[in-house]
Amino acid sequence: MAAAAAAKVQEVREITRIERVGAHSHIRGLGLDDSLEARHVSQGMVGQVSARRAAGVVLQMVRDGKIAGRAVLLAGQPGTGKTAIATALASALGYDTPFTSMAGSEIYSLEMSKSMALTQAIRKSIGVRIKEESEIIEGEVVEVQIERPAAAEGTKVGKLILKTTDMETVYDLGGKMIDSILKEKVQSGDVITIDKATGKITRLGRSFTRARDYDATGQQTRFVQCPEGELQKRKEVVHTVTLHEIDVINSRAHGFLALFSGDTGEIKPEVREQINGKVAEWREEGKAEIIPGVLFIDEVHMLDIECFSFLNRALENEMSPIVMIATNRGITRIRGTTYKSPHGIPLDLLDRLIIIPTVPYDQKELQEILSIRCEEEDCQLSDEALTILTRISMETSLRYGIQLITTSSLIARKRKAPEVQMEDVKRAYELFLDEGRSVQFLKEYQQEFMFNENDEDESQMEIN
Amino acid sequence: MVEEYNMDTGVLTRRAWRRQTNMGGEGDWDIEIGDPEPTRLQKEICVIKEDSNQPFITRRITKNILEWRIRNLPYPLDVYSVTADSENRCLIVRTTNKKYYKKLTIPELDRVNLVPQQDAIQFTHKYNTLIITYKKPKEVVLQEKIIFEEIVKKVEAKPGDKINDCKVS
Repeated sequence: MAAAAAAKVQEVREITRIERVGAHSHIRGLGLDDSLEARHVSQGMVGQVSARRAAGVVLQMVRDGKIAGRAVLLAGQPGTGKTAIATALASALGYDTPFTSMAGSEIYSLEMSKSMALTQAIRKSIGVRIKEESEIIEGEVVEVQIERPAAAEGTKVGKLILKTTDMETVYDLGGKMIDSILKEKVQSGDVITIDKATGKITRLGRSFTRARDYDATGQQTRFVQCPEGELQKRKEVVHTVTLHEIDVINSRAHGFLALFSGDTGEIKPEVREQINGKVAEWREEGKAEIIPGVLFIDEVHMLDIECFSFLNRALENEMSPIVMIATNRGITRIRGTTYKSPHGIPLDLLDRLIIIPTVPYDQKELQEILSIRCEEEDCQLSDEALTILTRISMETSLRYGIQLITTSSLIARKRKAPEVQMEDVKRAYELFLDEGRSVQFLKEYQQEFMFNENDEDESQMEIN
Repeated sequence: MVEEYNMDTGVLTRRAWRRQTNMGGEGDWDIEIGDPEPTRLQKEICVIKEDSNQPFITRRITKNILEWRIRNLPYPLDVYSVTADSENRCLIVRTTNKKYYKKLTIPELDRVNLVPQQDAIQFTHKYNTLIITYKKPKEVVLQEKIIFEEIVKKVEAKPGDKINDCKVS
């Protein structure tokens, strides 16, 4: 009996937690109130009040959608929440607004020129909302079967049985579909619609015939009739696609070749121009609506001077999105030149930016972040342990402090303690070196490492 | 639109339409008559599709009848009912066990502006397949004849013409 109950709990956990815990998975939004004032601790965000407020203003600008081609720079030391603010902005925007996130180094590829990669990223950040006739499956869920392969690898296999009052059909599910079904927690008795092309699931409610299944139902449970007639219907639905997706559909070389290679390859500028014209036409006819989104480029100092001048030009286009860039560099060399400039960004581009600074966290904020992370990583820390962890984060870095959470909780689990105590944190601190101690160690034992006979001035790292 | 005729009998064996898309690019084919497109490499990883054991429809026409074959229907003959719905201009296939339901449109009748008649419908069930036949009204037969003659004329007017030599891209 107890074993069965345990198995049940295991199963429930598996459904609710399908995502892994990432560095920023505790962030759910910017944590602003209605007047765009930042709450001190909210939606996973802590401190950084003025930066968050500024991001809120940017958010408003994106939502209004009127201003094209503005650029925002997030500047601050490492570990002060630049990427966190960008992630928060993305989740605050909602699913309909495109948000493209990339790192500066991503544009360097042998298959694609730098400007091509940037153009693609820019066009991925502009959405077009358009009406299109699409195939919709609408029915009541009879059964969801999802089988995981016995070995850890291999694809999941899924089947979905849907019915209307007149018919019943079995559908095979692809991997993406299985994930979204798990995420939406679709279960038998739900009445859903699935967009056949995009796989988007909309839950209409629960079927009346299942109304008696549970005594306790949530307040917002809506009961609907089981649909009639055919399962598959053609309906006009509103899609949001990005300009890049329209480019891909229309560039002919691809349509066929993409079958085999799967990559996007070069898209001709003529095609782009044509599509810009077409989209403008649709817009005038009222068929489509343009939703400018956000392009976020992290580690922007990795872009070189060519990219910066390209960006300068691209920002002037009225079809360009809001570009958000982040860097943790101070005055440094612009990549590809010998000039030095603040943030490694040329002054002419810097002049076009609005700059949001982030400042280091204070002790209280660090403690708050650490306790949020503890919750996210599912670790119980005693108060003492949290205090000492905060101290460690103050002296070394926040990232190192966060690393110690799971490691020390694993150490605590080994000695079967329900909670992480101070000694566990200490033990983890001894086991894993932070950056400062590692440098110290290297300085002491430099002589015994390989290639240490290189003389000082030559060992400078080549960065260009 | 693409058509394939059997030149000996003058019967259409295949007719397919390119589906229009709003976004540009090439849509998929809608097969009106003939075997469905073979499933080959899918463009993207499939999102959701009918299981391969589920019923599917192929259409054929002969000189005198329009024919639908619905394969993978294992139920006995007395389960099915096929009715003509003159309001929606289609045939409706129903099953008493509520496992299958389908509206079949008849583009041939739509083109000559006729509504389907119940007494032209016949159906049988054999080898897991429901075969529905609909007797062509004489208007349809007449129109098909005119179209075929027109095509033959076009082909004969330019013998050795490059009809089969059209460029793929």
